[in-house]
Amino acid sequence: MPDLSLNLASLPLANPTLTCSGTCGYAFEYADFMDLSQLGAFVTKSITREERVGNEPARIVEVRAGMLNAIGLANVGLDRFLAEKVPLLKRMPCPVIVNVAGHSFDDYVETCAAMDGLDCIAAVELNVSCPNVKDGLTFGTHPGRLKELTALVKKVLPHKPLIVKLSPNVEDITHTARATIEGGADILSLVNTFTAMAVDIWKKKPRLANVTGGLSGPAIKPIALHLVSRVYRTVAKSAGVPIIGMGGVQTWQDAVEFILAGSSAVAIGTALFVDPATPNKICQGLTEYLVKMRIDRLSDLVGALEMPGDQPAKSTYP
Amino acid sequence: MGVPLMYCLLRKTRAGRPCHPRHKPMPSTFVPTSDPTSVPRRSQFTATVTANEPLCREHYKLTLQLDSFPNTEPGQFIQVACRDMAALYSPETEFDWQPGQMLDFAGRELMSPLALLRRPFSLAGRRDSSSGVELDLIHRIVGVGTDWLAQLRPGDEVNILGPLGNRFTLPASNEQAILVGGGVGIPPMLYLAEKLAGRDAVAFCGALTRDLLPLTIIPDTTNPGEDSFTPQPNILEFARHGLRSVISTDDGSHGYRGFVTQALEKYLDRTEGDRATPIIYTCGPEPMMKRVARIAADRGIECQIAVERAMACGMGTCQSCCIRLKRDATRDGNAFAGKGWIYKLACTDGPVFKGADLLW
Repeated sequence: MPDLSLNLASLPLANPTLTCSGTCGYAFEYADFMDLSQLGAFVTKSITREERVGNEPARIVEVRAGMLNAIGLANVGLDRFLAEKVPLLKRMPCPVIVNVAGHSFDDYVETCAAMDGLDCIAAVELNVSCPNVKDGLTFGTHPGRLKELTALVKKVLPHKPLIVKLSPNVEDITHTARATIEGGADILSLVNTFTAMAVDIWKKKPRLANVTGGLSGPAIKPIALHLVSRVYRTVAKSAGVPIIGMGGVQTWQDAVEFILAGSSAVAIGTALFVDPATPNKICQGLTEYLVKMRIDRLSDLVGALEMPGDQPAKSTYP
Repeated sequence: MGVPLMYCLLRKTRAGRPCHPRHKPMPSTFVPTSDPTSVPRRSQFTATVTANEPLCREHYKLTLQLDSFPNTEPGQFIQVACRDMAALYSPETEFDWQPGQMLDFAGRELMSPLALLRRPFSLAGRRDSSSGVELDLIHRIVGVGTDWLAQLRPGDEVNILGPLGNRFTLPASNEQAILVGGGVGIPPMLYLAEKLAGRDAVAFCGALTRDLLPLTIIPDTTNPGEDSFTPQPNILEFARHGLRSVISTDDGSHGYRGFVTQALEKYLDRTEGDRATPIIYTCGPEPMMKRVARIAADRGIECQIAVERAMACGMGTCQSCCIRLKRDATRDGNAFAGKGWIYKLACTDGPVFKGADLLW
């Protein structure tokens, strides 16, 4: 039986499947539909310091091979998260990663500081790249500000690995990736959704009330894969910072692609809406793939993609 | 572009029928480890199509057979994968064209996209027997997902997820149930009528025109002209449970000419003081439901509304199906304490809401 376990920085995971923030609720929403104990880690919806109602509907629209969302970080806020959701998360049968969003340095610092002392939380992921919120500072597209934010948060989070989730809506993702690593991020996750839109041709209006939304689903997988590969080769590999790859992962083959491109783990988002058991199925598929390829440990596959010009690796295929 | 690459676009020729001879579907449902003799908990299920009959223009009645399904109540819905889920998880998902295999170049797959997300459908009926559970869905072709559903044939498999959402609260024994359904909002009213068999209940069903009414109209049973809003045993689906009904069409092609809400108002006005305390149940287009809520509020009648919202997950995670409700401190605690309203999710807080609570 091949070994799917891995260490993401100092965070040990039983397998490489994570959920994407915002696609799996706060805790047990999917308990009837998937085996949460078989998840590598559960990533919560974004938490902000204040509760947020979110955007007006329509908040979601399906497009070809993907969907746009503009939820607007609707969430219960830090106080209600601590009072109502943390007691649930204490019973979660897998490691829990809390996703934190904010609109100012103080927002992030205060929310992250509240997470540091909670035993039921294994790590914190910073959402610096929500494309659907217009108020407050943008952090995800500004390398200098991103580095400063990462450093400030790292200071109040001495006991938890810090993940920073990168936006693809930037000129060069390696710049923001590098800034994040210099700021002290332990793990990178990429990518968030792509800013996009859809038009109702009969009403001659945007289909989302927010006009633009974030594109996710199979449509973005090839682009996300390219960005993971680029960040891995350019920045992350040499810095020894692991990557959580995400963007349109729906099958185990998708997961293998991301892992070969340099992801240590993969997160599943939009596919959960269709089939919440997708992570469980991906683990099953990965196991069968490793057996077929005669690979003992999945972690040996991370970044094993052979690029033109690379020294050919010894084939393990029979 | 080589043939194998083309083939990957063409693999699926018919709904629910993987075209590849070597295709062996993997189990596509997550099987919970519970007592097999008990009623299963909500989950994903693979259902078999037993019938998919056209009811009227663009509308079909899909009947699904399952070995077992959790208990359900009127108002609840299921999320239907409007695509071949087994093919998605097939072990051979790479280009596996083989020499000699015929390619369906005229196939619809080349030009039409797949439905990515599931589509929510209200349950329109349910029958339990020793051989399992039969569920009825009524669907109307409005896009790629429902077009795929319309192609299903008996024996095909469909992946469904549910049951989801809350339910209608049935009337008290001294109340008269008034069911108001518009167009594709009629299905949950049919399931509700099953539970109201033999009770004091009437149904109002409206559509743009007669051939958009997904119902079996009994010939020569609808009163003409001014009397057309008097309930009659004129719709088979209601009459078989003892409910009389009123049919309205906007163009007057059958029954009352006008909106179903106008027929409802006339009925309420005429029977004022002449009947038990009414309670209204409604589902249909949003302008219709808003008008029904207004009519009920003006007359002090309780009204339960099954809302329809764009929805991705149906399980309370995506937060897209929000609808505005009056904030209620006893229900909402300290959430959004500074506001007079609050967003609730149609999928988990609803789809059934009280008309008096909705701000839309």
